[in-house]
Amino acid sequence: MLSEIVAQYTSEPTGYGAELTPGNFLARDAAKQFDSLSFDLPNAENPIDFLNTYTDVKSDNDNLIKLAHGTTTLAFKYAGGVVVAVDSRATQGSVIASQSVKKVIEINPYLLGTMAGGAADCFFWERELGRRCRLYELRNKERISVAAASKLLANMVYSYKGMGLSMGTMVSGWDKTGPNLFYVDNDGTRLKGNLFSVGSGATFAYGVLDTGYDHEMNKADAIDLGKRSIYHATHRDAYSGGYVRIYHINKEGWEFISLTDVDELHWQYADESRNRGA
Amino acid sequence: MSSVNFKSTRATQAATPITHSGGPVVTGTSVLGIKYKDGVMLAADCLASYGSLARFRDVDRLQPVGEHTVVGASGDIGDFQYVQDLLEKSMIHEFYTADGHALATPHIYSYLSRLMYQRRSQMNPLWNSYLVGGLNDSGEPFLGYIDLIGTTYQSSTIATGFGAYLAQPILRKAVEGRENEITEEEAIKIIDDCMRVLFYRDARSLNKFRRAKVTKEGVTVTEPYSLTTEWGFAENIIGYGA
Amino acid sequence: MHVRPSTHPTSQAKEAAFSPYEDHGGTNLAIAGPDYCLLASDTRQSNGYNINTRFAPKTFKLSNKSVLATAGCQPDCAMVTTRVKQSMLTYKHNHNKEMSTSAIAQMLSIMLYQRRFFPYYDFNILGGLDEDGKGCVYSYDAVGSYERVPCSAFGSASALIQPFLDNQVRNKNQLGKPKVTEFEPVTPLPLAEALRICKDSFTSATERDIYTGDYLQIFIITREGVEEQIHELKKD
Repeated sequence: MLSEIVAQYTSEPTGYGAELTPGNFLARDAAKQFDSLSFDLPNAENPIDFLNTYTDVKSDNDNLIKLAHGTTTLAFKYAGGVVVAVDSRATQGSVIASQSVKKVIEINPYLLGTMAGGAADCFFWERELGRRCRLYELRNKERISVAAASKLLANMVYSYKGMGLSMGTMVSGWDKTGPNLFYVDNDGTRLKGNLFSVGSGATFAYGVLDTGYDHEMNKADAIDLGKRSIYHATHRDAYSGGYVRIYHINKEGWEFISLTDVDELHWQYADESRNRGA
Repeated sequence: MSSVNFKSTRATQAATPITHSGGPVVTGTSVLGIKYKDGVMLAADCLASYGSLARFRDVDRLQPVGEHTVVGASGDIGDFQYVQDLLEKSMIHEFYTADGHALATPHIYSYLSRLMYQRRSQMNPLWNSYLVGGLNDSGEPFLGYIDLIGTTYQSSTIATGFGAYLAQPILRKAVEGRENEITEEEAIKIIDDCMRVLFYRDARSLNKFRRAKVTKEGVTVTEPYSLTTEWGFAENIIGYGA
Repeated sequence: MHVRPSTHPTSQAKEAAFSPYEDHGGTNLAIAGPDYCLLASDTRQSNGYNINTRFAPKTFKLSNKSVLATAGCQPDCAMVTTRVKQSMLTYKHNHNKEMSTSAIAQMLSIMLYQRRFFPYYDFNILGGLDEDGKGCVYSYDAVGSYERVPCSAFGSASALIQPFLDNQVRNKNQLGKPKVTEFEPVTPLPLAEALRICKDSFTSATERDIYTGDYLQIFIITREGVEEQIHELKKD
């Protein structure tokens, strides 16, 4: 009896409280309303096919809901830390929805996530990851490792495997063990590595990146390599473009380096090759 | 994390909803509605078709609800009868409180739209288009539309079904901008003219109609009546569309 | 449940499988200025080639500081608007203050994402004033990806209007004009100029998009509150 009364006025520390019903809807804190991760599903024979019919870019449905997608991201480890470079274009079908997307998500001062695939999926899950990393910090009195953080993300999306989430991300940061880089995607794949590129422009980026990569290079060269790789991807991949955004990670945490219009880079690189020729 | 509760990924055809009401079965055709000087006028014929069969010829598709509201239905008659039942229950439920308040037109409209949207969201739609006619809170004419996915809009002329193609242009021409001038006599003429056109061209219609009006005095629904028709023009129509 | 034989008469007539979505057309536009925010939408609601009504507003005032513009499937738009308003009211009762535009923005994102697997067919633009009194515009995709932008156009004529805004509001590809970078949260345009661009956008879109027309509803949000204007558009 008493416990019932107490329960009525207590919310769980995680915020995962009672189900949201019309009855308790108004009584709840607006901020807590969306705490519990439960998603509404269509009452269809197969909810996944339903979703694909209405949201897959390959679907020919008249009422296609075009979701924002992002593309060409890369990150690599080298002697001086980690370089993260991304473009800034979002497309909805063949329409360029935005040229100013922030595809690097600042999870906390020592952790970065990148987004490729569904923009909302990346935003939502990496925000959720940020929340959980913060809780980890509060509970354990120390920062979460990159390995653990990436595993949180991988586990979260793995429980929705096959339901149509679209997310290709790199979680990178600096922890007790030094620089770390993990690839996590919507299938639940989680890979540790030194160099990744994700998105439709990834093949182009890999070409430049692999050619110019040297573990012992200096910071300026590493940043330039990241920039060039993204630029060349935006040049050949229609779904990539806009601006090249660069972050650098060392033991002090991440640092924002630059934001450059690809058009500017185009002429800069064109001048370089002209000068080389002369 | 509360996991998502979804059914087995049974490999069926893509995205087939679990349909409860698979589609309309016994159906009513167009409903028309206009605003005029004193209120709102609605009309519908008395036919309930079973596919191309003119199955039931004395069906009432105009339902008075409360003092100042009429609901007109096209689409599945069974679903409409279910809705009539719900509406009656709600009216009785509201009456119990005996607080002097009854559901007025905007409330009924809102209730119906939420009902339709809820059912579409459950992938189990009520296969109807409704017109709700009556008076709003300040006593002005109210005419609104609701369909099977919960779409709502208000306008001074609305026609469902075939009427949207055949009658709506005539209604708009006759009514738009003149809502406050049209007398009851003229409103009847406008509605009757449209019902006649629909009877000429809608193969699922019947020359037996009911007309409802809602004014400050309340709701009146006519007995079924017929219109004079003239088929002499038919032999002069040649070519496409004859 | 009804079990119909395959030879049922209605199954021979056109019987499309039930779709919970329909596109009701219409266009929205928003421009954020240094001390104002402007949102505009036409009021035509269509269904295929039919015009349902010439006046069905789809942009709603949420508070003295924020306005929400919705476009897509009307019932979904109405649902999202209602839920945002409800949550804002609950917030107000709990905290005794109005929700800020940036808070509404994040809430809307989560609200949309909750329906990730059964999306609202609804493309939103949230406009208003931020904590510093600057204009702000947030534009969304259907499942909650959002971004603060200086200007945005959504809906059936967005492909006609957005390039025009890029050119006129952000000075894109205009040699000699000061560049408004991609990441500027507001445009330096004075309100009168923004209004002119907004009206021109809609009169032009009305000429070329069959789903845009009838009336233009403009919301101007300033420190003084929200002003609403209605203008005529062509009705053909």
